Amino acid sequence: MSEPVNPVEYTKKELPASMSKIATALIAIGLIGVILAYLFDTTRASFNGLVMLMFVTSIGAGSVFLIAIEYLGGAVWSTPFRRVSEFLGAVVFLLPLLALPVYLNLHSIFEWTHLEVVEADKILSGKSAYLNPTFFTVRVIIFFSIWILFYLILTRNSKKQDSNGDQNLTKINIKVSAIFIPFFGLTLTFAAIDWIMSLEPHWFSTIFGVYYFSGTMLAALSFATILIVYLNEKGYFVKGISKDNYYSLGALLFAFVNFWAYIAFSQFLLIWYANLPEETFWYLARWDGAWKYVTISTIFIHFLLPYIVLAPQPAKKDPKRLIVASVIILFAHFLDIFWLVMPTFGKESFAFGWIEIAFPILAVGLILFVFVFKYKSENLVPIRDPKLKRGLNFRL
Amino acid sequence: MSAIDYTQELSVVEGKPPLREIDELIIQPLDTKPDKNFFIALSITGSMLLLGALMLAWSFYKGTGVWGNNNPVAWGFPIVNFVFWVGIGHAGTLISAILFLFRQKWRTGIARFAEGMTIFAVMTAGVFPIIHTGRPWLAGYLLPYPNQHDLWVNFHSPLVWDVFAVSTYFTVSFVFWYVGLIPDFGTLRDRTASKIKKVIYSVFSLGWRHSNRHWQHYEMVYLVLAGFATPLVLSVHTIVSFDFAVSILPGWHTTIFPPYFVAGAVFSGFAMVQNVLIIIRKIFHFEHIITLDTLERMNKIILLTGMMVGYAYAMEFFIAWYSGVQPEQFAFLNRAFGPYMWAYWIMVSCNVIFPQFFWIKKIRRKISVMFIIAVLVNVGMWFERFVITVTSLSRDYLPSSWAYYKPTLVDGGILIGSFGLFFTLLILFTKSLPVISISEVKAVVDGAQPSHGEH
Repeated sequence: MSEPVNPVEYTKKELPASMSKIATALIAIGLIGVILAYLFDTTRASFNGLVMLMFVTSIGAGSVFLIAIEYLGGAVWSTPFRRVSEFLGAVVFLLPLLALPVYLNLHSIFEWTHLEVVEADKILSGKSAYLNPTFFTVRVIIFFSIWILFYLILTRNSKKQDSNGDQNLTKINIKVSAIFIPFFGLTLTFAAIDWIMSLEPHWFSTIFGVYYFSGTMLAALSFATILIVYLNEKGYFVKGISKDNYYSLGALLFAFVNFWAYIAFSQFLLIWYANLPEETFWYLARWDGAWKYVTISTIFIHFLLPYIVLAPQPAKKDPKRLIVASVIILFAHFLDIFWLVMPTFGKESFAFGWIEIAFPILAVGLILFVFVFKYKSENLVPIRDPKLKRGLNFRL
Repeated sequence: MSAIDYTQELSVVEGKPPLREIDELIIQPLDTKPDKNFFIALSITGSMLLLGALMLAWSFYKGTGVWGNNNPVAWGFPIVNFVFWVGIGHAGTLISAILFLFRQKWRTGIARFAEGMTIFAVMTAGVFPIIHTGRPWLAGYLLPYPNQHDLWVNFHSPLVWDVFAVSTYFTVSFVFWYVGLIPDFGTLRDRTASKIKKVIYSVFSLGWRHSNRHWQHYEMVYLVLAGFATPLVLSVHTIVSFDFAVSILPGWHTTIFPPYFVAGAVFSGFAMVQNVLIIIRKIFHFEHIITLDTLERMNKIILLTGMMVGYAYAMEFFIAWYSGVQPEQFAFLNRAFGPYMWAYWIMVSCNVIFPQFFWIKKIRRKISVMFIIAVLVNVGMWFERFVITVTSLSRDYLPSSWAYYKPTLVDGGILIGSFGLFFTLLILFTKSLPVISISEVKAVVDGAQPSHGEH
């Protein structure tokens, strides 16, 4: 038996009052907007609700994944920050709630729910064994339960360790994380296929799950980065966190910016080159009218801009530039999902008005609120995690 | 089993050996005369190489008709072997570049050897596209250059991208490998008693003096090269996958190919490195440098990449059904239940099922079992390329021109020859250069690191 780990000196500080105020305000504004949106234009609101759902899924499921890979990879530089992902991961509890209004309007979003259309279409009736409301519901329940289940196990063990310093809990979490990885891969892929790819039920792409995953990682990581850097600069963590910890965070962000571009480019190039009509129509719809500008802008916002900001070595150690890059990436991921979902709603040009603004406001408000809420009951630092001291001594 | 203490970083080298002992141990194979076993091994691989060379000579004398390639299956063995060998090289680049950037210290014991394997594997791979053209003497035309005929390569073709990708890959890997060797050449030069060797080592060490300034520059160059090599891990096999995926052939044209090929390449590369290292550490008594922990970590990567490959198989199959496109559906049913179903199920069981044994810690740490599993992985990965290349071509859109592809003995001889080439180079390498980086291993021995904080 290893000895129990002694706690690292840590005094918990109250979060700035402005943070919960901002969260409440965002939720209030967002919620009013969203309710009004559903009243005025239910279909448009449902599509936006889907964008919001997938965005929050990215943060929630992605954060659970980040926790898991920290355990699995045995990383120490990120241990002082892990709680941030543990708090953000709690948004998985919100997912059923956010899915509900979308689910109630399934009929106005998904073409494959229209029985008469499916019957008249040979291809759609061929896949009705998969794309039907009952099986869809079952799958969605499975996705949510798996994410919530693993979130609970991983974070409970982590929290318990704060009181007893038992090293065995780390060992258990490593095993749980290993089991989680294949589950995560499959659930996230099928969530992407069900909620996004099946919007155009004729379209298919085998890389689609990987594509959504690459964005998920970026979103979860950049949201965490913003909070980590902001709170650490204000001294909310413990002593010992150095620029080298920041550097690793920035390098990981940078790597995934490239990974996203790699996956996005691979998908595009192969479809463009082969030029098969059953695949190209999906990109053509995103080249129609005003959508063209959104498509082109993703190249800049999702890839070139964060690439340029993060590429220099000093940038990965600079709190300001890290936050700037993270904000860009977070916005880019929202834009990416908007670009994936909305062309089904508005062909040729995208609708943009107060409805499209209300949903992201609510999303950010909710995520922030969950973070503030979790912060109240737990330590921001896993004080008796065996890897914490190593993480604080971490030097490049 | 004793519990692991996560508060301490485990040393990747066992037993805190004195630095001098590390020098001696790693350099010993270079200082001693080769023994009987060395010549036995060399004569086996040399014979394989000779067999391959004879078969190639025969192919050029009679023409490529002596191969099994037929009308729909024009690619056959040469391309299968090409993709296989390029894949083997990937572990080396991953270990030297990506694991370096991730600061994984356990890579130090295996990096040099894996990089060497990368170089030899790419050399072996390079043979195949050139012989596949049937006129290897015209290979020079693959490179674009201004000429009087105004004749250019077809830049639209991924086969030309391959030329650039593979040659870039080879160049960068080679430079990376050589730069890593410079400090070791310095050590070799300082130790050797033979005059001839002294001259050779002096030339290759480029005046290395182990000075502080030299180390500073060296580390920066190494970091930059690791940065260069990282995209190459992805790009090379991505472009190899484009050879297939930009076409419209069912089973070839699928968007997941790029990351799937990369994962598969790392998978097979690690299996090969693991196999060879198990033998090397035994022969040269490197058990405390290439530790069981290191092998276990490699097995974990094999498990992980094996699952990625399994994910890709599943996704291809599912989407083929989901697409509702009839030729797509046929292509995959044909793979699993058509005339090549034996190859398909060898592939699935070797790549997806057997690696699952690595979930069990005991098996991850049992040398004999892990060796067998890794051999099976490479069998499976070779068959994967066979399945992809052959099944899709042998039954494509036009049923009237379907044909069964059967490799000939000549094909088999060339394949054996490629193993001969690879292992001959590898065996020569073990006796001519330090197979473990002396300087890097010294840096990860317990107590070599400057420490921060209390102890």
